[in-house]
Amino acid sequence: MKITRKRKYKATIPTASTGDIAFLLIIFFMSTTKFDVKEGIKLVLPKAVESQENKTQTITLTEKEMTRFQILPDGQIAVNREAPRYIESEELDTIIQQKVQINPDMIFKIITDRDAKYNDMIRVVDRLKAAKIEKISLSTS
Amino acid sequence: MAKLSVKKRRDATIPQASTSDIAFLLLLFFMVTTVFVQEKKFWVERERWPFAESIERIPRNHTSTIYVMRDETILLDDIPTRIESSEDVFVSQTLIRKKAEDPELIVCFRTDRETKYGVMSDVMRQLQDANALVVAFEAQPILKK
Repeated sequence: MKITRKRKYKATIPTASTGDIAFLLIIFFMSTTKFDVKEGIKLVLPKAVESQENKTQTITLTEKEMTRFQILPDGQIAVNREAPRYIESEELDTIIQQKVQINPDMIFKIITDRDAKYNDMIRVVDRLKAAKIEKISLSTS
Repeated sequence: MAKLSVKKRRDATIPQASTSDIAFLLLLFFMVTTVFVQEKKFWVERERWPFAESIERIPRNHTSTIYVMRDETILLDDIPTRIESSEDVFVSQTLIRKKAEDPELIVCFRTDRETKYGVMSDVMRQLQDANALVVAFEAQPILKK
């Protein structure tokens, strides 16, 4: 008669892959963690006029040399001496293009009313930046 | 008769049983030591920023952020302030110090898009006084349909 002997199996949990799992977790968190990215419109402000001695010369610029965008509290924009009106971004682009065609070195001055919205000022600066204009002046009075 | 000893070949193995413990320890270490900036008194959410198209990336390591709320409160270095007269020079004083520490300083504005321009003008005037002339207006990209 054949006697079968019961084999005792050792109960073990395979732990060989836990290291791989942990490293995968580390890599997952490293690749998915998103830090606060800074994105925006960069500008360089003009230097402050320090004293009467260093006061810069006053130069009068004509409309051929400088374009003025005056932003009013209700969002209307006056270009140079024209009557203020609401100008869409596309129309702003064409105005800028026209001015650059007149003079490629055109200076754009943005005079914003103290009560005007910051968003309206950014919209004009953005359109100028999109047209690759470097000579942008912001009024800080 | 001489006894011949047979050289036993030992397997050269690196014990790998503890690698998982090391990895988990690393994970726990980074989880415990990572500190996020949380001490903001207030925050201008991304949804409140103005929209723009010509956005460029700004290197973080030379930036200092100024938050400007709709109610004209300014937050610089977690200290809320207001500019109501020419004697309120907290912004310029702080930025003079920062500019001395980092000459390549870029001042980033996180301003609510509904803010009146007057307060921005005042802050920019103080930046000019502090000779911190490079500024960046943070904006969110326009979603194209």
